[in-house]
Amino acid sequence: MTEATAPVPKLSLIEVCSGYGTVNIIDTLSMTVPQGQIFALMGKNGMGKTTLLKTILGFVAMRSGRIDLDGQSIAGVSPASLIAAGVAYAPQEHALFQDLTIRDNLRLALHTDKELKQGIERVCQHFPFLRERVNQKAGTLSGGEQKMLILGRALMLQPKLLLIDEISEGLQPSVVERIGRVLVEECRANNTTVLMVEQNLDLVLGVANRWAVLKLGRIDDSSEMDTGSRARILAHLKI
Amino acid sequence: MTILLDVITTAAILFVVAAGLLAIFGVLKIINFAHGAWLTVGGYCAVATTGMGLNPWLALPVAFAVGSALGGITEVLVVRPLYRRPLDAILATWGLGIVVGQLITLWFGRDVQFTPNLLSGTINVFGLDYSFYRLFMVLAALVVGLGFAVLLEGTRLGLSARAVIMNETLARALGIDTAKVRLTTFMIGTGLTALAGVLLTPLTSVDPDMGLAWLIGAFMLVMVAGSSFGALAVACLVFGGAQTLVSTFVSPVLGGITVAVLCALVLRISPKGFARA
Ligand SMILES: Nc1ncnc2c1ncn2[C@@H]1O[C@H](COP(=O)(O)OP(=O)(O)OP(=O)(O)O)[C@@H](O)[C@H]1O
Ligand SMILES: [Mg+2]
Repeated sequence: MTEATAPVPKLSLIEVCSGYGTVNIIDTLSMTVPQGQIFALMGKNGMGKTTLLKTILGFVAMRSGRIDLDGQSIAGVSPASLIAAGVAYAPQEHALFQDLTIRDNLRLALHTDKELKQGIERVCQHFPFLRERVNQKAGTLSGGEQKMLILGRALMLQPKLLLIDEISEGLQPSVVERIGRVLVEECRANNTTVLMVEQNLDLVLGVANRWAVLKLGRIDDSSEMDTGSRARILAHLKI
Repeated sequence: MTILLDVITTAAILFVVAAGLLAIFGVLKIINFAHGAWLTVGGYCAVATTGMGLNPWLALPVAFAVGSALGGITEVLVVRPLYRRPLDAILATWGLGIVVGQLITLWFGRDVQFTPNLLSGTINVFGLDYSFYRLFMVLAALVVGLGFAVLLEGTRLGLSARAVIMNETLARALGIDTAKVRLTTFMIGTGLTALAGVLLTPLTSVDPDMGLAWLIGAFMLVMVAGSSFGALAVACLVFGGAQTLVSTFVSPVLGGITVAVLCALVLRISPKGFARA
């Protein structure tokens, strides 16, 4: 699929600036995430990947530029209404309530308890180890298990757009693979669009339809996934 | 025997009076020094309700409605900008309490008002005739305490409130409207406090300073209890008990300051009070 044939993109950013204090971390950045694709955003530490996701959600204020969701500007839309409109977010840090049970963590992703049972069932199908532990505190899960719970929770809403921040950080290859499989399945089943910030090249090469590299607040390079992608990404991420 | 009943009922009364303050402090980390004013508002709701010739029990829902409505306005106008400045919030709510007291004086005058007993007479417990109403306060305290436990542990609102306390950033990242959670919590806290004000009317006289007398005791108890209703119950039993003993055996005047003094001592020795969780 080329960009020209894609109708309205799921998400598009046009010359977006945002940051903290007087510094612009994201600096006139433009990018487009096509509908139904898995889009991998890569970049070295501290380049502003997390800041970009937070800007999209409205947690970091956009200073100039424009962000469109389904072709509609989301300037001034509160994070709560964006999330209610089907945008899910799996944060990089402190992403679970350690002292709440797994069930309550999952429950907090939903607006009402009506779909709780179904949602938990769906998450447990992806990650069966959760089934017997729903009433245990999230803090009792291992690091890798917590990451799976974070992804599971982000899927509770069956989001239309899923923003994931380094879900594979510190995971063994088999778990990374499992997470990749779940992502691909979910996208296929629900036509979910995914924007994933990711450092794990194997995961990106395995699941993404498109990738981009963030450098000094802008998209430095971007392409569909093809045979040359691996070498190009590696060149960018080299120290 | 009477002493034992006195201890239990005093603790129950203190618990009912302090519960609204604890609800707000526990979730919002704001010390609502207008607490005394909401108690007074509740007292005057009782005066107004009976003044209109209505059933005195009707004052309870009326006070809850009035208290939570006023609390809602307060949260939006006064408290919301001050969550990050808890000291300013104390000053602002203290000032608000004075304003509310003055408004009540303007409206109803300085005089002590009288309200009918909600429950009169005595009841025989273990061969003793004891005030029916004071015993009823034990039931009220249990209802309030259990009500909060159910609200906090069993409902979505409670879950959201706990999520906001634990990690507000994450709560927002999951789409929880933290502003709404705070507003609702504040309204429940002030509504409950006004309701407690109604419950106090058979025990004290109603005047514009009625709530003030209870404020310091409630504040100290909440400081000792931290954010746990269980700890508040214990604190009320211990310090309410001490108050009863001092009033009975030493002097009622000293009894009146027992709670405040003992709480201050406890906080001096163990700054975290009874809250270990
Ligand atoms: N709340 C904040 N206040 C001030 N500066 C911040 C804040 N959060 C991040 N920064 C700075 O913004 C820059 C980008 O941070 P960001 O977390 O977006 O990077 P990242 O690309 O996600 O890095 P990583 O790969 O390590 O997760 C960094 O220099 C960081 O120090
Ligand atoms: Mg990051």
